Amino acid sequence: MAALLDELPRFFSYYNVIFLAQAFAYTAGLSLVGCGLGFVAGFGLAVLRQERVMRFAPVRILALLYVELFRRIPFLVLLMVVFFGFQLAGADVPMFVVAATTVALSAAAFSAENVRAGLEAVHRNQWDAAETLNMGGLRALRLVVLPQAWRIIIPPSMTYAVGLVKATSIASQIGVAELTFAAKILNQKGFSPALCFGTILVLYFVLCWSLNRFAAHLEVRLAPSRSR
Amino acid sequence: MGYTLQYGQVTPYLGYLAGGAWLALQIAAVAFLIGWAIGLVCASVLHYGPRPARWLVRAYVTFFLNTPLLVQIFFIYFALPDYGILIGSVEAVILGMSLNAGAYMAEIQRAGFASIRRAEIEAAETLGFSRLQQIRYVILPHIAKVLYPPLSNQYIILTMTTSVAAIFGVEELTGRAYNINAQTFRSLEIFSIAAVYYVVLTVIASAVLYAIGRFLFRIKGKVF
Repeated sequence: MAALLDELPRFFSYYNVIFLAQAFAYTAGLSLVGCGLGFVAGFGLAVLRQERVMRFAPVRILALLYVELFRRIPFLVLLMVVFFGFQLAGADVPMFVVAATTVALSAAAFSAENVRAGLEAVHRNQWDAAETLNMGGLRALRLVVLPQAWRIIIPPSMTYAVGLVKATSIASQIGVAELTFAAKILNQKGFSPALCFGTILVLYFVLCWSLNRFAAHLEVRLAPSRSR
Repeated sequence: MGYTLQYGQVTPYLGYLAGGAWLALQIAAVAFLIGWAIGLVCASVLHYGPRPARWLVRAYVTFFLNTPLLVQIFFIYFALPDYGILIGSVEAVILGMSLNAGAYMAEIQRAGFASIRRAEIEAAETLGFSRLQQIRYVILPHIAKVLYPPLSNQYIILTMTTSVAAIFGVEELTGRAYNINAQTFRSLEIFSIAAVYYVVLTVIASAVLYAIGRFLFRIKGKVF
């Protein structure tokens, strides 16, 4: 313990702090871009699964298949598939793109489920009523269902986003300069592992905990009133 | 471009990969059982324990829920040896996964405890049930039915999580995929096959857990 304390000033030197701050920003950015793209894609998938919007059954089944498959592939394996997929396709892309694509592919599957749950929480009569008013599927979705569903969709999606922030730590395996990778580098520079990994555990905690608090706050704030 | 997928080169390794899947299932099962026990103790403390103990458990749960499993295992595997605690890679992975799953399952089971209504206990008391009988005939059946779906979901998640063990050199499904990749260089082929293995593994596990839930607790809803 005393040795750890001795090491502290050396560990939190100017350059190391900047290095860690950059890695923190990288993790946050990777999560934001990945989750953002994934949520948009997942939203599309969930909409495609709605019978009222997509009348053509094969597309609905394809969307379902995507969700069921990608929810069952571990992040690490998906990362490897995307990594080698890009490589073998001859696309010379930055590692950030590889990592963000993986996060997005995985986020799409999970958020599709959240969005679907939200859409299905809106009573069927609402769709029927919209149809009676001669609204098409997409119009009913936009004007009738979504205004009621988004309150149910957002809080669990935030919780899943936290899960993905944690999953980005696995992206250190392909060498993107996010927090876990930064800790490994500092560790290899000779700083004690307890300090390196302990520090990033705290940093991850700060990020995820505040996001989770925000999600909990939204859940209370957005809770749909039950009185009709 | 110009790359052709050659699955023929990796087919001799399918059995080897299946062995890895078996190891993954074992790791998941052990981590699940330990995590479940941790979760049960923590949930009991959260619900019935004295205040300082509750704070401690809450701190543990909050910390483990908000940090990545990979970094937790890194800490266990690399930092603990500095303090004289030497553990192998499989043990470190299982320990990390158990502690992590324990935090999740504490939350799940706390919700289960909270779902028992006072009126139920009072009704049992009115019928002259002893404390043990209350637990056996009222509390347990109720809790089991409420907890079964989220806990089986947790098992499926743990099965996928075992892939992290590959990073620590454990030769489970993903670890063996790494090995085969190193031997054949058919990277995309082998990792896509590994992905299919995980899908099949979790689909089978889901189906079995669903059947058990249906049979034991008459749960009709979807499990995972």
